[in-house]
Amino acid sequence: MGGLLQQAELPGANIPWLEALREKGRRAFAAQGMPTAKTEAWKYTRPRDLQTDDFVIRTTDNDKKCCGEAGHCSCEKQEEQSLPFECYEICFENGCLQHNHLHLPRGVTVMPLMEAITENDEIKAYLGKSVDIEHYPFAALNTAYLAGGLFIRIAGNTKLDKPLAVLNRTHSCHENLFCNLRNIIVLESGAEAELIESFTYDGAEKSRYFNNIVNEIYIGRKASLRHCKFQNEAFKAVHVSLSQVKVREGGNYESFCLQRGANLARNETKVLLTEEQARAEVNAAYIMNGWATIDTTTDIEHLSPQTYSDQLVRGIVGGNAKGVFQGKIHIAPEAVKTEGTQQHKALLLTDTAEVDCKPELEIFADDVKCSHGAASGELDEEQLFYLRSRGIGEDEARQILIDAYLEDVFARIRSEKIKDWLVSLSG
Amino acid sequence: MTKTPLLEIEDLYARVAEREIIKGLNLTINEGEVHAVMGPNGAGKSTLSYVLCGKPGYEITGGKIRFKGMDLLKMSPEERAREGMFLIMQYPVEIPGVPVTTFLKHSVNAVRKHRNLPELDTMEFIKFVREEGKKLGISADMLKRPVNVGFSGGEKKRLETLQLAILKPCFAILDEADSGLDIDALKVVADGVNAERGEHNSLLVITHYQRLLNYIVPDFVHIFADGHIVKSGGKELAQELEETGYAQFVKEK
Repeated sequence: MGGLLQQAELPGANIPWLEALREKGRRAFAAQGMPTAKTEAWKYTRPRDLQTDDFVIRTTDNDKKCCGEAGHCSCEKQEEQSLPFECYEICFENGCLQHNHLHLPRGVTVMPLMEAITENDEIKAYLGKSVDIEHYPFAALNTAYLAGGLFIRIAGNTKLDKPLAVLNRTHSCHENLFCNLRNIIVLESGAEAELIESFTYDGAEKSRYFNNIVNEIYIGRKASLRHCKFQNEAFKAVHVSLSQVKVREGGNYESFCLQRGANLARNETKVLLTEEQARAEVNAAYIMNGWATIDTTTDIEHLSPQTYSDQLVRGIVGGNAKGVFQGKIHIAPEAVKTEGTQQHKALLLTDTAEVDCKPELEIFADDVKCSHGAASGELDEEQLFYLRSRGIGEDEARQILIDAYLEDVFARIRSEKIKDWLVSLSG
Repeated sequence: MTKTPLLEIEDLYARVAEREIIKGLNLTINEGEVHAVMGPNGAGKSTLSYVLCGKPGYEITGGKIRFKGMDLLKMSPEERAREGMFLIMQYPVEIPGVPVTTFLKHSVNAVRKHRNLPELDTMEFIKFVREEGKKLGISADMLKRPVNVGFSGGEKKRLETLQLAILKPCFAILDEADSGLDIDALKVVADGVNAERGEHNSLLVITHYQRLLNYIVPDFVHIFADGHIVKSGGKELAQELEETGYAQFVKEK
């Protein structure tokens, strides 16, 4: 068995239930194999660049090699990159958690996943409980290598006062690193939080690595999570992420993902609206150039009456790049009086840019409101001429229209400071 | 007193999508003059305004245009605007996602830069544009909205007029070729245009109806049919047209 399924020395090998879970992951991946052009869920995003034998799995061993005993990366770093607003920051360097001292408010737990596994039985109720590894090969792989990541829990009725930011940085010192992270995020009833995830790189922009992320997110009754993500991996990197979200009665999940990096990136969000009045908003923007492929895949399942979902996705594609949007809304027979909307629009800047869009509606209930829209096109010549006829140079006019293209999706970010930050990263 | 020509069109031929629209047009507009070009629908009046502003898709097949002594046909649309040409559009385009203030700031600063004036910073600009807007009944709220999106006909004209007021062009073209604009919107733009008239500023009014010329009184009237000017005269020619119609001129071909 070559490729991405390798022998690896992982921590917690003496914990039987963890080992059993990993074994399930190994089997599920072996049964599915790597997605190919014939795999329906991946047919637009052929993982053609995943000639995988040379990827090196992150294990405890290379943890030490890279990060030293103290847990800090020994390679040359650029200056500390922090977010331009106050937040609780947690950093992963090459997939290795840095031991920041966070002064978290009461009711907020953030701990390394391995610590939660060894010390906290509670994790068993969540870990691996929401992800269907038989149908998600990369989630299966992520399960086979379970070790890194976080357990985040916001206790009932606790409101996190500042965003929690998980910053993932990859350094060029570790070529071909294959890194699997699993985050378990639990918001108990009435809890509220803002979560930021970012994926960036330091050093040579040509470094090749693979980040495979699975988030299992559980949103309790009347709880609310705003989840913002920025993906700007190095341009030969691979980034695959699955956020599996369960929303209970009156709960709210709002997400926004800005992707502009990697050679191949897939950001997949699967939301189950399991009880009445559960709500999800899944928004995304992608800006790409070169030969990149960026895929945004969503799957929203309305499983109860009066559930609500809304998706807005905008893309800007230049060079020889390819944007993919696959959006599915499923409305179960019992999910009456439900609303689901979806809209995707992409701007093609060159003749060689490409966008593939696959909207899918599966409606098994009556009395629902459901809609989808998809469009792609070039910059509007009339708008461009109008701006130029007012003295604005052609390049500047194009940039104004490109920025405007993303305006409505950025407007969906409720927090002004997070919006300003992401807008500044989109230019 | 000798007059300085601002715009000189000489034996102009232009086509759009393989169709010859302007055929042998001659027209000279001096500084300070107001000219009206009137003509039947489909005569090519709007084509003339787009050719002057350099809209892509209009092919010049013959003739010359000089603007302030320069070869206009060699200038990009933005260069023409920076040199002081301004088209008040019949149907200004909507630009979702671009607030009016953002658009105007880019525009004003592009023109100021060209004129070697310091660019205005955001605070200075907002103060300036609010004051100018007030004079035209444009609220601070309207300045925050996306350009022309959801604007009424009157609001669109107010915004065009505001641009005229802040860009201070020396040559404005008012294209109302076939527009069925209501009288209030028409007055907004006429007042705005009249306020900018001066001894060095010229105006070209392109219209189908004589009505607009009650508000903007021209020095010269030209009748445009079949791609060129078939008759020129003073403002009384417009009145005459109102009575006789275009039929006699169209027949001439």
